[in-house]
Amino acid sequence: MKRSSMLLILVLVAAMLLASCGPKPTEAPADTTPEATTPPSTGDQRVTITIAAGAVGQELELTQAAAQRYMDTHPNVTVRVLDTPDLVQDRLGLYLQFFEAGSAEVDIYQIDVIWPGDLAEHFVDLNEHGARNVAGQHFPAIIENNTVDGKLVGIPWFTDAGLLYFRSDLLEKYGYSAGPTTWDELEEMAATIQAGERAAGNADFWGFVWQGNSYEGLTCDALEWIDSNAGGTIVSPEKVITVNNPAAIAAIERAAGWVGTISPPGVVGFGEEDARGIWQAGNAAFMRNWPYAYSLGNSDDSVIKGQFDVSPLPAGDSGSGSATLGGWQLAVSRYSNNPAIAADVALYLASAEEQKIRAIEGSLNPTIMSLYSDADVLAASPFFGSLYDVFINAAARPSTATAPKYNDTSTLFFQAVHSVLTGRSDAVTAFDELEADLEALLGYPVGQP
Amino acid sequence: MSKQKGLSDLAKIEERLAYWLLLPTLIILLIIAFYPLGSVFYNSFTNKAFASAEPVEFVGFKNYSQLLSFTIRELPPQVDAGGQPVLDDTGKVLYTRPLDVLPREPLRYRELSQFSLLGRRYVVGATDRDFLRGVWDTLIFTVIAVTLETIIGLGIALVVNVKFTGRGVMRAVMLVPWAIPTAVSSRMWEWMFRSTRVGFFNVVFQNLGLIQDPIPFLTSQNWQLPAMIAIDVWKTTPFMALLLLAGLQLIPGDIYEAADVDGASKLRQFFSLTLPLLRPTLAVALVFRTLDSLRVFDLFQIVLAQSRYSMASFTYYQLTNNRAMGYSSASSVIIFILIFIFAVLYIKILGGADSE
Repeated sequence: MKRSSMLLILVLVAAMLLASCGPKPTEAPADTTPEATTPPSTGDQRVTITIAAGAVGQELELTQAAAQRYMDTHPNVTVRVLDTPDLVQDRLGLYLQFFEAGSAEVDIYQIDVIWPGDLAEHFVDLNEHGARNVAGQHFPAIIENNTVDGKLVGIPWFTDAGLLYFRSDLLEKYGYSAGPTTWDELEEMAATIQAGERAAGNADFWGFVWQGNSYEGLTCDALEWIDSNAGGTIVSPEKVITVNNPAAIAAIERAAGWVGTISPPGVVGFGEEDARGIWQAGNAAFMRNWPYAYSLGNSDDSVIKGQFDVSPLPAGDSGSGSATLGGWQLAVSRYSNNPAIAADVALYLASAEEQKIRAIEGSLNPTIMSLYSDADVLAASPFFGSLYDVFINAAARPSTATAPKYNDTSTLFFQAVHSVLTGRSDAVTAFDELEADLEALLGYPVGQP
Repeated sequence: MSKQKGLSDLAKIEERLAYWLLLPTLIILLIIAFYPLGSVFYNSFTNKAFASAEPVEFVGFKNYSQLLSFTIRELPPQVDAGGQPVLDDTGKVLYTRPLDVLPREPLRYRELSQFSLLGRRYVVGATDRDFLRGVWDTLIFTVIAVTLETIIGLGIALVVNVKFTGRGVMRAVMLVPWAIPTAVSSRMWEWMFRSTRVGFFNVVFQNLGLIQDPIPFLTSQNWQLPAMIAIDVWKTTPFMALLLLAGLQLIPGDIYEAADVDGASKLRQFFSLTLPLLRPTLAVALVFRTLDSLRVFDLFQIVLAQSRYSMASFTYYQLTNNRAMGYSSASSVIIFILIFIFAVLYIKILGGADSE
């Protein structure tokens, strides 16, 4: 008996240790640095500024090159680029851990267009660091989005909106003179080209690839389907839950019909890079993606170089296409040891000259309006000029109307859509459930868009 | 008491010294185990938000009741205007939708599952169905994975316990899956399970003509858990085999010689000698693996993220994505209690018999 009670105690202690090894929401890491007390460096002192930046496509290389240019003109500053997870929600998780710890390790954060309201308390007011003079160059809608209680939380870096990529060579081959303007046309073209290419020997060919995994990207895609079908934007800016309407349900049912017909069955597990992989290998006729895929598709190792084009996404019953507004801002951490220098770096990275380089080399859409008529930019990405209106009129996700519960809202939404795409639920039931979930979560009234 | 009196002064001094020597260990334990645990317990009764300066309020057992509340309601069949039950295309009775039956005030109950009993249809609703589903999935995962790991691990251990040429190499090779970090092996398996041309299994099965359409291993509800179990078995069977091998080597060889002389068959030897003598080792290995599986996090987080949770990845999601620190602390406490119960059960079943 004695031995077994010893063993019991040992196991219990082990269990406690094991349980506390898990993700534990308790202690700040030991290396937490206290809040900034030292004044910004005066020039003799070497300063290191760390940027937490994205690494989708060629983002990381572009940011590193820009950091190098800053260092060339500011020899006392070392700019370190920290790459962060591709999936938006993983990135938020990482940032929150820095914030909870009040960590000075990262000075500048690349933040999503849906975060300023929620994370404002962790960032400095860039207006106090010289952003007031340049804010007027950017799209007013984005500046407004990034301004919380009069405080400019982030300087816009690049903007994003969903686009339709299509293979111009294949459209021509199958006798189409222009890309699709409605979802019906897209379905018809995708089915024809897919059947033709498969008969010609490419068994891996698919008509249309997009983002169908259960994550924020699906919220973006599904919002475009619904909004282009006059089904509203989930929760209206007037704080009314509008998602459960016949137009929205029809749009989701249409998309569910693509899975396994013109889109691979695996599309319900796709993120941006999965879709691009199939597209850039020449195995898809159409793709819904963000602008970054344009210059990658035209790179030298791309099979489809020079054989594709982009257009606004097709229209549904509303008569016009819809594009979800994305995009990233640079925000300076309140816990930085050198907020003034960090703000200077952020403003440099978001300046007109740097945004121009990013537009030309990375086809990342500038947030500075004048660049859309810049000859060099248009020469590199001819589609920018025609898409200016897309960005001005893009559909915003309901992050303001649902703040601070946007993440919950979006998760409920993409899970409901995913359950329809995977056939676990029918669209009517899924959206009835979603409406009840959103009512319970937000407490807003229910209505029609 | 008489024992205490009998102690000499020297023994008392030694005893005191022993306590002093234990003190650093106790302090370290307090700091690294009890303090974090205590603060998780404390937070679980508040509405604290993660990475936020929002004021924290004490909410009592609200987090717990929201995590654990469930209800069972009967689903009446749908009836048409004439009072006849409505049938679907295949002639089955259509029931009222769970949404119309489950309570919505003050907390909304979401459908967890449905079942039929004595010709009636019932729905199980839960205020947090993701959590209860996560608990259930983790338990299923643990039971199946640990059972498979034990059986396969024992088989491997028996093989590499026999003397043969190349045994050293075999023992080293056996450990490879265990040596790969879970983050790497999870990603590797995720690729192999893909339903596109990247997916190893689907390509192989298709080329062999076993399947027509690719199997969505990672997106279909029915395939997700088997896929997780496969990865875990691949990864941790070597650990099991290693522990059991150590146990096998403790068994003296002469008892088998004696058994041979007595004419016992190999099978009889295994069940009458090897298994009983291996029992203490088996107990330790099972405790380790079970407690480990119940906490499974990396595998689920990397491969399934928000499409399906284990208990631990649900906690992580609530903390980082929903920023609900109090709520996620409450779910941590529930995990802790569950693991505690498992540990006690194991000791009762395995340890108790051992000491008699």
